[in-house]
Amino acid sequence: MNVLELREVSVSFDGFLALNDLNLQLAPGELRAVIGPNGAGKTTFLDVITGKVKPTRGDVLFRGRSIVGQSEHRISRLGIGRKFQAPRVFQNLSPRRNLELAIKGDHGPATLLFGSLSASQRDRVQQLLGVVGLEPHAGQPAGGLSHGQKQWLEIAMLLAQDPDLLLVDEPVAGLSDEETDRTAELLKQLAGDHTVLVIEHDMDFIRNLDCPVTVLHEGHVLCEGSMDAVQSDHRVIEVYLGVDDPEVQSVETIA
Amino acid sequence: MADLFSSRGLRRWLPWLLLVAAGLILPVLLPPFRLNLLGRFLSLGIVALGIDLIWGFTGMLSLGQGIFFALGGYALGMYLQLDSLEPGQLPEFFSLYGVTTLPGFWQPFNSPLFTFFAIWVIPALVAGVLGYLVFRNRIKGVYFSILTQAALLVFFNFFNGQQKLINGTNGLKTDTARIFGALVGSDAMQRNLFWLTLALVVLSWLLCRWLTSGRFGDALVAIRDDEPRLRFTGYNPTAYKTLVFAVAGAMAGVSGALYTVQSGIISPQFMAVPFSIEMVIWVAVGGRGTLIGAVLGAVVINYAKSLVSEQLPETWLFIQGGLFLLVVTALPDGIVGWWRAGGPGRIQAMVGWPPVAPTYPALDLDPQVLAEQRQLESRPLSAGSASATTPQQPPAGEP
Ligand SMILES: Nc1ncnc2c1ncn2[C@@H]1O[C@H](COP(=O)(O)OP(=O)(O)O)[C@@H](O)[C@H]1O
Ligand SMILES: [Mg+2]
Repeated sequence: MNVLELREVSVSFDGFLALNDLNLQLAPGELRAVIGPNGAGKTTFLDVITGKVKPTRGDVLFRGRSIVGQSEHRISRLGIGRKFQAPRVFQNLSPRRNLELAIKGDHGPATLLFGSLSASQRDRVQQLLGVVGLEPHAGQPAGGLSHGQKQWLEIAMLLAQDPDLLLVDEPVAGLSDEETDRTAELLKQLAGDHTVLVIEHDMDFIRNLDCPVTVLHEGHVLCEGSMDAVQSDHRVIEVYLGVDDPEVQSVETIA
Repeated sequence: MADLFSSRGLRRWLPWLLLVAAGLILPVLLPPFRLNLLGRFLSLGIVALGIDLIWGFTGMLSLGQGIFFALGGYALGMYLQLDSLEPGQLPEFFSLYGVTTLPGFWQPFNSPLFTFFAIWVIPALVAGVLGYLVFRNRIKGVYFSILTQAALLVFFNFFNGQQKLINGTNGLKTDTARIFGALVGSDAMQRNLFWLTLALVVLSWLLCRWLTSGRFGDALVAIRDDEPRLRFTGYNPTAYKTLVFAVAGAMAGVSGALYTVQSGIISPQFMAVPFSIEMVIWVAVGGRGTLIGAVLGAVVINYAKSLVSEQLPETWLFIQGGLFLLVVTALPDGIVGWWRAGGPGRIQAMVGWPPVAPTYPALDLDPQVLAEQRQLESRPLSAGSASATTPQQPPAGEP
């Protein structure tokens, strides 16, 4: 059974179709990259899965069950985690406290008020701080972190949630080359135990991920396949470069 | 107790010692009239604490706390009306409107136990239900503020119009009532009420501190700063917001009850729009998200108001408006926020009066260095690393 399945999903914003008859399947443990020009509907696609936007038509299935109409926190509790395009961490809380909020477990008011973190939860937080190299800054407000550190803190928050399905929106925007490589390694490690869907613009990064690629255009799946196949697809070249020039063999250079 | 006299122990216990001392000395020092004023303003500190909880920490600006404040006041006021009657009598005002039997909802207020709970449970329930409906529909920000103010107006008009039920505009007087056989307005009783208020302010502060310091408090701050993000982390903000709104409502009820018995009357005026806005100003001036600032703001502004009004009654509104503008523009974190950010030190430095014995004046007063020091202090020991100690060492090439 597919972990995630979108069936003919359309989203209309006042008549404008941000998603148009979108079909997509993710198998358990799969790592998948989604690319597409700005405005292709990539973020909207995540909004539909995570319950932020209701599809105008179509159905979204998680492990075979429809999740359309459920609230964001319920979908999150089912095991779908999300990292946002612009890093969204809680600026006034320290990285440690950000992670302690995100850590897997009951998130009801009574537990937060009367319960305390278990030893294993504490260890996990400490471990994650190490993984993303934020130990030296664990106690300062996260608002003071650099852009890259915030990106990583948000990835760590996603890991703390320990979802089955990870939706990662442009994780390497603003990261250095070295950080980008490490992020790719991290995501590749996660795949297998988790199902991971990554949205990115950075072609080197996608190539590094070495996984099937889905190209989105005007809210619709344009084509699917390996990075090489996708890059030499003439429809993709046309969409990215706005030309259908037989001279252009690949979109390698556009990143 | 061993560290009671060490400097850290002293810093920890000093506020409490001062508080007890104030509780013992002020009733002797201040004439009854001033003591009563202080007690009233302290009781306003409790409603302000609730506002800090929902606004300063959770980001919900309620302009309708007067509803809950007045509900608490009415609960106690009704009990006092009944408690001072001979058996079979009705409160006096009923005869003016030809009412001969006590309305049914008055009956439970014969019981002191019921009243004790009604003072805070009724406001908490009303706040909880109102809050739940609003938060479930994801109404926030300005729309939430407008809605609370609209609710306030509804309550205000309703209470104003109900002569036959609760004496309408005239309200209920409490100072001539008796409680446990003693006159509520007497000096001795007012002194007791001052102590009770002081104790309840401290209790409310402790409650708010408990609510805001742990992971629950982090969730509130997260709701304030980025509520949608918290939803995607598996939290249902509605539960949190409803809960703290109800707690703030309960605190407003207690505040209103204490204020009522110390000012001698409860009337729909407590639900007037400007009063609820003033409550927000106290918190803004004292310092949002600081708790103690809410109490300080309530006491200081109201004391200033009564002093100014005694001398120049017309000028107060201008002073209050000016104060609010000053805070919004110059001290966005209020007085306490400014203090905690090292404000007094900066003023000292500005007037060229360096703090006591700086080792390297130029260095010790450098804002950058001070900021780094604060960061180091706020960092928990467990996360300390070797690099954490380096910035504290003075640079090698000291002039
Ligand atoms: N809430 C919204 N209201 C109206 N239009 C929207 C909304 N969200 C997205 N859109 C539009 O939908 C299209 C797809 O947006 P988005 O999913 O953010 O694209 P991408 O992430 O691929 O750059 C864009 O044209 C955008 O302007
Ligand atoms: Mg996007």
